[in-house]
Order: sequence, then C-alpha cells, then structure tokens
Amino acid sequence: MSTPPLLFDDAYLSYFFGPEHPFSPVRQRMLCSLLEALPLTAEFTAPPAATRQDVCTVHDAAFVDAVARCSTGDLPANVRDFGLNTADVPTFDDMDAAARALCGGTLHGARLIAQGTADRVLQLGGGLHHAHRRKASGFCVYNDLSMAIRALRDEGMRVAYIDIDVHHGDGVQHIHETDPGVLTLSLHESGRYLFPGTGHVHEIGKGAGEGSTLNIPLEPFTEDDSYLETFERVVPFAIERYAPDVLVVQCGADAHFSDPLADLLLTTHAYDAMFTQLLDLAEAHTEGRALFTLGGGYQPDATVRIWTLLAHHVLEAERPTDLPADWLDRWSDEGEAALTPTLHDEPRTFDIERRDSIEAQNRQVSKRALERIAPLWY
Amino acid sequence: MLIQDIMHHPVVTIQATAPVHEAFAQMHEHTIRHLPVVDAKDTLVGIVTDRDIRYATSALTDKPVARNDAVHTVMSKPPITAGPRDPVEDAARTLRQERIGALPVVEGDALVGIITGTDLLDAVLRLTGLEKPGSRLAVALPDEPGQLAALTARVADEGLDIHSVLSYYEPSEGDKPASHLNVILRIDTMNVRPLAAALREEGFQVRWPLDKPTGT
Ligand SMILES: [Zn+2]
Repeated sequence: MSTPPLLFDDAYLSYFFGPEHPFSPVRQRMLCSLLEALPLTAEFTAPPAATRQDVCTVHDAAFVDAVARCSTGDLPANVRDFGLNTADVPTFDDMDAAARALCGGTLHGARLIAQGTADRVLQLGGGLHHAHRRKASGFCVYNDLSMAIRALRDEGMRVAYIDIDVHHGDGVQHIHETDPGVLTLSLHESGRYLFPGTGHVHEIGKGAGEGSTLNIPLEPFTEDDSYLETFERVVPFAIERYAPDVLVVQCGADAHFSDPLADLLLTTHAYDAMFTQLLDLAEAHTEGRALFTLGGGYQPDATVRIWTLLAHHVLEAERPTDLPADWLDRWSDEGEAALTPTLHDEPRTFDIERRDSIEAQNRQVSKRALERIAPLWY
Repeated sequence: MLIQDIMHHPVVTIQATAPVHEAFAQMHEHTIRHLPVVDAKDTLVGIVTDRDIRYATSALTDKPVARNDAVHTVMSKPPITAGPRDPVEDAARTLRQERIGALPVVEGDALVGIITGTDLLDAVLRLTGLEKPGSRLAVALPDEPGQLAALTARVADEGLDIHSVLSYYEPSEGDKPASHLNVILRIDTMNVRPLAAALREEGFQVRWPLDKPTGT
C-alpha cells in the first residue's frame, strides 16, 4: 500500500462555535502547520462534504431540517429539543455545511478502506461522538463516526470502534447498540464524575447487539500506568475475540493531564504506547485496516502534540524530539501561551493521595466489564 | 414523582382459578416475576411470584402443589398495594419494610398498574438527571435560607440549563461547626469548570469538580 492519506479540507475550519468556545479550529490550524513544518512525507487529500443523504443514514430528517434552518438563522421554536442553540452547541451561519464537511472526511476515509484503495487513513478532524440520532450534544452536531461505520457495514464489514476520548462515546454507542456487527469500546472517565454521565459497565448493547458494547469507566486522576494497564487488559482481548474487519478509532486528546475539561492525568507517553498498540492490533487482526479521527482535546499545546504523534504513527515516520523553532515562534506570536518545545511531555509526577485505590478501582472495573461481556462471546 | 409516572400498565394478570403451570408460563412469556391474581370480576385478590411457585411445587416441601392446582392455593393474600398518586418514595419504603419485590397499583377496585424494585431504580436514575447528557456540579451549602436560590441563580446567569437537583443533609460532625446541604446539580454542558471556578471565587464550597493536580 502507498502512503496512508491524511484527510483535510479548509472547510473543516468553518466548524466554529465562536472565539470563547473550547472546540476551536485553531487546533487543526496548528496541527496542519506543524505537520507541514516537520520533515514528513504526507499526502493531504481534500475529501468531498457529506451529502444530506449521507447524513440521513444516521440522523432523523427532522433533526437535519432543524440544523439546516439554524444555518440560516431561522431557528425553529423547538430548537433546544434538538440540542441546538444550547451552551455547548450554539448555532452559527452555515453550521449544516460545516458539519457536513467534517463528516465528509470521515466518510471518505471509510470508503477508501471499503474499496481497498487505502488500509490506513487519518482524518484530521471529526470524531464527533456525542451527536445522537435526533439530537446534537457536547460540541457535536452530526456524527461523522457513525456515518463512516454505516458505510463500512454497507460493504459487509465487521467494525470495531475504539474511543479513547476522555468522554464516553455515547452517540456512537447508542446509534449502533442493536447491531451485532459493530463493537463499540469506550475508555473514559467515569460518568459519575464527567459528562455525559453514561458509559457504565452494565451498558452492553441491546437486542441482537447485546455483547457488542463495552465500556470502561475510569476514576478521576487516573495516570499513565493504570490507564495503560487497563487498555492492555481489555482492548487486545476484545479485538481478538470480536475479529473485526476494520478498526475505527476516535483519538480524542482530552485525557491529557493539562486538559481543562476532564480529570484524567495522561501524558503524551501513554498516547504513544496506545497508538503503537492500536496499529499492531490492526496489523494482527484487520490486515492493517484502520480509520483514525481526531476528537476532543481542549488544551491546544498538548492536543496538537498528541495528534502529531498520531500522524507519525500512522505514517510510520520517525518521531522528532524537538518541534521546529519557527513553528513555535509563529504560534507564540498568535497568542498560544507556553508551548512545549518538544513532541513529548517531560517526565512528570503527580501528588495523588488515593493512588492505590484509584488503581484498584480501575482494575476492578475492567475485570467486571470483561466478566459481563465475555460469556456473550462464546 | 408519583407512582403513576413510573408504573407499568396495562398489567398482566392471572385468574385465581387458573392452574399454577399457566401462571408459570405467563411469567416466562412476559419475563416477569410478579403476577397479580384476580377473581372472575377482575378484582385483585392476591399476588404470586415465581419464587412462590418454585417453592410450592418443589419436591422438597411437605405437600408439593401439583401443576394443575389453582393459583389461589399458592398466592400471597391479601396483596400489599399502592395508589397511583402516592409518591415513589412511599413505594420504596413499603418494598423495603415488607421485603417484597413488587406492588400492584390500585385505584378504587380497579387494578391500574404494577411497580417493581427495578422501576424504582429507573426512577432514581431519572431523579438524578442521568437520562440527559450533562456534567456534575456538587456544592456544599450552609443550612440557611436563600442559599440554593443563590446557587441556581448563578447557574442561570451563565446561561446554563439545570437537568436535575439532588440534595441531602450532612449533619455537623465533631468540631465541624455547621450542618450542610449537599447539592448535586446536573448541568447541560461539557464545560463546567469555568462555572466551578467562578463559584469558588465567590465563596461557594464546590466539592466537584476539583482542581486537577498539576504535577511537577
Ligand atoms: Zn471528549
């Protein structure tokens, strides 16, 4: 196979809720400029936007109509029932087109894989895992991941969806929870503490899909070692047993210790280890087929470095130690405070009182999750 | 929240004169464990559980009931019931006190629903706002008039929507002087920390979210 395509289009940047909103396209501008500044052999492909018909493979027509009306400032009376015009999903001009642009990329990646044109694709956007069938939520209007998963299912592929965003992937889970051909596996900070509040181990799928939903809720202040221990206990086992044809991976970077929205304490080293394992799992179980998307991540400095690491893994490029000085200068000038000059975080230790009990609880939870689901796999 | 808001209806019932094996088959078919028993006029006369049937028909009991014996020989009577407009917490108290798993809901002579322990757990989830995506904000308020109003007014100032309010008293303990009202709000945003920080600055005792350790 040739170089894995990186999908990006300037239209992605129009998915913009305003300067005060955490889900900022600055992250992608920083990321793309960094990838271009580094000595990488990357092929950027601009995908077409998703059509209304594509969107309707996942969302109710009434919801899509509401989004379309919001895009022209003509807000329907029941707009909040659709999760629109809220604190997290304010409306903006052309939001329908902006959301379709992002979805188009993820969908294009799925189609390249389904056609056999590419094995491994990195979509430099999307990962809007909180969008529901008829409701926007948590910064997500349309669910690009579910559109991609539907497209892969249409080609008869079994899909394993892996979500390492710090928030539970509730939208994707609910949309596919009755489909035994889609495994959704989400590792996240426990819903007892963090948005959206779901993602308990007892959520294991519904009807014919029982046994194809797997949730690992982790304690606040979980650090690298305990997170990776959990990941290694659950993810390889699940993928091996499920035997998917393709992986779809939502690579939110908001489990990082510096993230302002959540409470996990990962460093870039944990992400490095996870990306290695995810690619190994794809090699071992899906003949390399894997679609990676971005996701949450609200500390631009950490988020951009984590996604840069991801791009290096996807492209199998040697990872640099330092970031280019002119790139650092440029973004410092644009007001990004205290940028880390290296790709990785410095080694860091946290003063956590309850570390033992956090680790014990995470172990217990991963065990309980597997006990609940494993009997359904034989 | 009232029982009529969370009860099941219509109710699957069995005639008092029906054979026991039919009651057992009904439970199996509907995957339920409690079956209200009615007479010819459809008046509630008892309740039978899968456990009652297993126990009564077991070869280990002194006089096992046969499969064709009538349901009224194994049912509990009179049944303990609830009213549709009783609050759900009354139903919870009754289930616990009587150590039973379900309550038929009766209005006048009519059987209008049934409520089980599982329904009450679902009600707890609804009461805690977990049906809608949201973030948790926990604040310990001094036990004084106007405190909760001040807190919710601050949330409203930020343009945020409250999905649910849950509260419980924490009595004063040891040398801690005052009792508190612990209030747990579920709020319609993924980004609750700026509000938490502002509240702290204004003197509220915010218990969640906490500040993250920064590390060294
Ligand atoms: Zn997230």
